[in-house]
Amino acid sequence: MVTPNLSITLAGCHLANPIMTASGCCGYGEELAEIFPISKLGALVTKTITPEVRPGHPPPRTAETHGGMINAIGLANVGIDRFISEKLPWLSQQKTAVVVNVGGKTVDDYVAVSEALAPYDSVAMIELNFGCPNVNEGGLEFGANGAMAARTVAAVKRVFPRPVIVKLTPNVTSISDIAVAVEDAGADVVSVINSLVGMTVDVSSWKPTVTFNRGGLTGPAILPIAVAMVDACYQRVSIPIIGIGGIASAMDVVQFMLVGASAVQVGTSLFVHPDGPVRILKDLTAYLKSRKLASVTELIGKVEKY
Amino acid sequence: MSKIISQASALVQARDLKNDYFSFTLAPFAKAASCRPGQFIHLELPHTELWFRRAMSVASVDPSAKSVEFIFKVFGRGTRLLAGLRKGAEIGILGPLGKPFTRPKKSETVVMIGGGVGFPPLMYFAEDLVRRGYDPQRIHFFYGGRSKTDLVERTRIKGLGIRFHPVTDDGSLGQRGLVTAIAGDWLKAEGGSRPRLYACGPEPMLAAVDAMGQERDIPGELSLEAPMPCGVGICLACVVPLVRGGYARVCADGPVFPIGEVQW
Repeated sequence: MVTPNLSITLAGCHLANPIMTASGCCGYGEELAEIFPISKLGALVTKTITPEVRPGHPPPRTAETHGGMINAIGLANVGIDRFISEKLPWLSQQKTAVVVNVGGKTVDDYVAVSEALAPYDSVAMIELNFGCPNVNEGGLEFGANGAMAARTVAAVKRVFPRPVIVKLTPNVTSISDIAVAVEDAGADVVSVINSLVGMTVDVSSWKPTVTFNRGGLTGPAILPIAVAMVDACYQRVSIPIIGIGGIASAMDVVQFMLVGASAVQVGTSLFVHPDGPVRILKDLTAYLKSRKLASVTELIGKVEKY
Repeated sequence: MSKIISQASALVQARDLKNDYFSFTLAPFAKAASCRPGQFIHLELPHTELWFRRAMSVASVDPSAKSVEFIFKVFGRGTRLLAGLRKGAEIGILGPLGKPFTRPKKSETVVMIGGGVGFPPLMYFAEDLVRRGYDPQRIHFFYGGRSKTDLVERTRIKGLGIRFHPVTDDGSLGQRGLVTAIAGDWLKAEGGSRPRLYACGPEPMLAAVDAMGQERDIPGELSLEAPMPCGVGICLACVVPLVRGGYARVCADGPVFPIGEVQW
């Protein structure tokens, strides 16, 4: 049998395969490139870029949890100007699709960063971070309020000419309501899900384990929640969905695609297995062969529900 | 081959150094020969709910056996689990990681200050310098701990032929006092021409060495420790504040930092 085709098309963008690295889990790519050729990735999603340089929160910023982690890094990033001058030139040479994750405190912030990226064709897509639980302003409220999310998407679409992905927060009553709102506002793709608000406490010091007190829970522990949320969104939107949440193996990828994801992002598990995407791609290919599938796209939405 | 590799390895030798200290040797590790003193390896523990890796500085390597040694003290859940492993246990290695110590000039007097379980990278560094032809009599190793039982591997360090200065809080071995104070007194009295400081140990000790280096205008480097989820610079968890503002990643920008950079 011929090698299965892993390539996908996401909102008109051709990707070599459906495996992307998630924002905040791969920096701007340079470190991962020391470990494996990042051209193997379908796409790399940068750390959230804000208008200004952000140093992030004081440490401790992360805590290990059962099958996951709490993180409250605080959107540490170099800011849009330095991203364009120092990081983008290198990223553009890497033969993988580049997705820039965009953050801000106001609608104007999102628009400013998106507009600054518009002239750079090497930025294949942008992903709006509407669900960061780790900052005091912006972030969560953009994702939790459908009208505000829609207004922001519409404003960004006016200044950014290529596909706009919206990364949805799970910290809402109905994630599919927000997915519908951003689709109606012009979003090209939704990423499901961002981290869940979580908190752990050190029983020796009686202090929270991170200085922001609460953080985002990610890692394998959240996978079933994320799969359910992708399933819920797939019932209601027709734009492609990128599945995110605890993905560490090819079988995790298959689950997300069966409930409707067109692509996936590998995040927290990179911290344990930075070369994980290479193994995932190998195992995914073997799985498709074993199921006699010619293309990875044949998995999308094919879950056989009771 | 990439500079950093991830490889399945196994515990080939486990030595109980007493008082909760252990020396573990892992093999095979294809990058053993390129592990520089000050660098670390990031370990994936077998079958555990603790799924983050654990960072350990390299204590020695054997290039022909493709093995790497690290020394640890039981401190938390991860090190307790490690200590319970037996020969043959599978441990994944990611590495070598981090920036190594900068080698001094051969004309300089090397003053190493190790506190407790911070000694292994300095022991490896001293061994490496001796092997590279540095005069062992110009390498001074100040080794501090609470008590005699904290100063493990003394025979091995002395065996390098370097100048060994044990220091204990309780005076049970060597000079009594804080290792930084004793090393400071020695520097004042003996001086040593063109000294260069290298330190690894608990944070208050490193802060004291940092202050001493700056006050007396002695250059040097400090090796820091921090809990590290990723170890390769992508998670941004293990940061330390810098004097010039902002943060540095202990794993990728360090763990070795020049004196005068870290904001304590």
